[in-house]
Amino acid sequence: MTAAALDERILGAVAAWRAGEDLPDAAFDALALALFAYQIGANDPYRRFAAAAGFSPQRMPAHWGRIPAVPSSAFKDATLATFDPAQAELTFRTSGTTAERTGVHYMARAAIYDEVLCAGFERFMLPPGQPAAFFNLVPDPAQNPHSSLGYMMRRAGERFGAGPPRFYLRGDRVDVEALARDIAAATARGTPAMVAGTAFAFAALLEDLGGSTLPCAPGSRVMETGGFKGRTRAVGRADLYAGLARAFAVPECDVVAEYGMTELTSQYYDAAASRTAATRVKTGPPWLRCTVVDGDGRELPAGETGFLRHVDLANRSSVVAIVTEDRGYAVAGGFVLLGRDETAPLRGCSLDQEDLLVRRG
Amino acid sequence: MADPAGLRALPARAIVAALADAADRWRDADFPPRVRATARIRERTGYTEPVVDAALDRLFGALTSAALTNAICGELGSVDALDGFVARPGRADGYAAPVGRVAIVASDTTIGVALVPAAFALCAKCDVAVRDRGDALCAAFAETLAEERRECGAALATHVAAAHDDAAWLAELRAADAVVAFGGDPALRALRAAAAPQARFIAYGHRTSAGYVAREALATQDGARAVARGAAVDALLYDGDGCLSLHTIFVERGGEIGVARFAQMLSHALDEAAVEFPAAFALPPPRAASYRAGAAFRAAVGDGALFASTGRPHVAVLDPPRDEPPPLLPRTVALYGVDGPAEMLAFVRAHALPLEAVAVAVDRADVERAAIESGAVKLAPFGSLQTPRLEDEHGGIGRIAPFVKWIVRS
Repeated sequence: MTAAALDERILGAVAAWRAGEDLPDAAFDALALALFAYQIGANDPYRRFAAAAGFSPQRMPAHWGRIPAVPSSAFKDATLATFDPAQAELTFRTSGTTAERTGVHYMARAAIYDEVLCAGFERFMLPPGQPAAFFNLVPDPAQNPHSSLGYMMRRAGERFGAGPPRFYLRGDRVDVEALARDIAAATARGTPAMVAGTAFAFAALLEDLGGSTLPCAPGSRVMETGGFKGRTRAVGRADLYAGLARAFAVPECDVVAEYGMTELTSQYYDAAASRTAATRVKTGPPWLRCTVVDGDGRELPAGETGFLRHVDLANRSSVVAIVTEDRGYAVAGGFVLLGRDETAPLRGCSLDQEDLLVRRG
Repeated sequence: MADPAGLRALPARAIVAALADAADRWRDADFPPRVRATARIRERTGYTEPVVDAALDRLFGALTSAALTNAICGELGSVDALDGFVARPGRADGYAAPVGRVAIVASDTTIGVALVPAAFALCAKCDVAVRDRGDALCAAFAETLAEERRECGAALATHVAAAHDDAAWLAELRAADAVVAFGGDPALRALRAAAAPQARFIAYGHRTSAGYVAREALATQDGARAVARGAAVDALLYDGDGCLSLHTIFVERGGEIGVARFAQMLSHALDEAAVEFPAAFALPPPRAASYRAGAAFRAAVGDGALFASTGRPHVAVLDPPRDEPPPLLPRTVALYGVDGPAEMLAFVRAHALPLEAVAVAVDRADVERAAIESGAVKLAPFGSLQTPRLEDEHGGIGRIAPFVKWIVRS
């Protein structure tokens, strides 16, 4: 199958979902395997990786769950693109946990990314009712053209927002004055807010705000996304959400997490039903599936903690299956994200990676 | 608080003898206090019994009268200097008097790390307070020591499983004339702040160790295998924990045995060492598993090699990316092919690696120079990293010197 034909099928699946149709298992499986066959034919590193796992065009995986998943770090080690990267319409770089090397995700067609991200955003994140004003505490794509998060929020804001999306992140700090001014203006107009930020930026904002608040109009929503990768501090998610709900005067169930990564084209969000529960469940569009696997790639039963392995049919121009360093467990309707395992550093007088990060600033 | 009065009245040689005799009893694996301590250490650390046994054998095996005496004589000139003024050729008479109270914090260290400084502080006739781990190893040893010499046991107070803000412990810390602290930078910073301004602060921060296999050591299969066996023990003994655990090995190109072949030998040696020293975990911890997955990808695309087996929690990775720090992960060893020791030095500097030790396979001046320039304070043959000699300095610091104050008589 050609790239164009695969793209058409992906866009077809997106359009069908927007029209209320699902993607049956058989169709998901067929498209996933078609993508795998195409990708090992078009990308040498993935072909070699698949060959090492025992797969080739002549020996295909039995189903989508067996497609060999590259570790997310592979995007740092090889060019995982099914086309000439020089022709990429979008190029995104990972933030990574080490200063020197970043992964690169080349996307052949911006239209695929735009359609996919907007479809998921519209379904899972967009507040109902009148259009919201977008306030972004994520990298400004004008300054960071290789941030997938910044690009995503710009596109979503352009497509769904009341007015152009605005960005307030300046380095690691938030331009609180401008944010407060703009939110106050929107609130005065009765325009709901869509405030998006990384957990790290939100934590910094709350610190800067002290006890003050930035009340938003009814129908507003806060989108939190995992922004602690590569950071040496952490914040309790429950405390953060409570703080955000208080600061923006929104119900806590309207603080919604998005879980995406540069290496994926599609995103997960907190499932609506779990937003009032103690444990939030991640769900995504039907062309994106997650399984939980052990260190050797074997799928684990529901409830057992392991690594998250994603099959994203929208990753046509890179790699369809990726295993991450993020941990979680499967539940009915999705998975629970636990984040990276930082619990077992070396003991004693050992130097570990975290020590080194701190020492190197 | 410990009571040093009786201890100060003892001749230093008697203290040395008491410590050595107590350690001798602990050398017996069936000594009931050791049996109990082993169970508690296993519970606390998760280490397997052979690993705990090896740690205790090495700890108490080193604590001999000869080793204590040699260290004291080496640093102070004589044991008698601890009892009063001694003549010193070309210098004024000197008396190595006790510095006073000593507090030792080894809260996040592996097994019995506080015992060695405690032993030397007792030899210096200091009253010693140790913030002991939950396994109460120091407390148990103190009991044995008291049986040997009541005065020695009385001078060693232990605060078992005390919290960092425990009032009694903080009082010890504030009153200490010398503080020995093992830990990471944040812990050391907090301890330094809690100690008296003029207290001596002897810090053992988090560090790592590397190895350098010179091409001369790769001249024969047997020679290379011996190096690999030693490296495997250095890497696996405490699951990669501790500053003397080997995580990074530089292997020189140009030997009869190539770098890849040596990596293979190391992999076999790791398999063997893992039988002798089984891991605390059946599967690699998540971060190590992720690192392994990344290495497997690189190997598949022809970038380096991975030596690992399903179900085995140790791994050797050949030529991981040099612009990334080495994998400071449990039971994970990285090998880098190099043309000379300058590459090791450049790597260590590029990643600002604080090195404790460099394991070496042969004596060669340029390797020695690079090891010294890399900041390492110990050079030792492969296989001996985890058996530090009591006679020698640790962490670049003398064993007993921090616990004495010299009084001179002109």
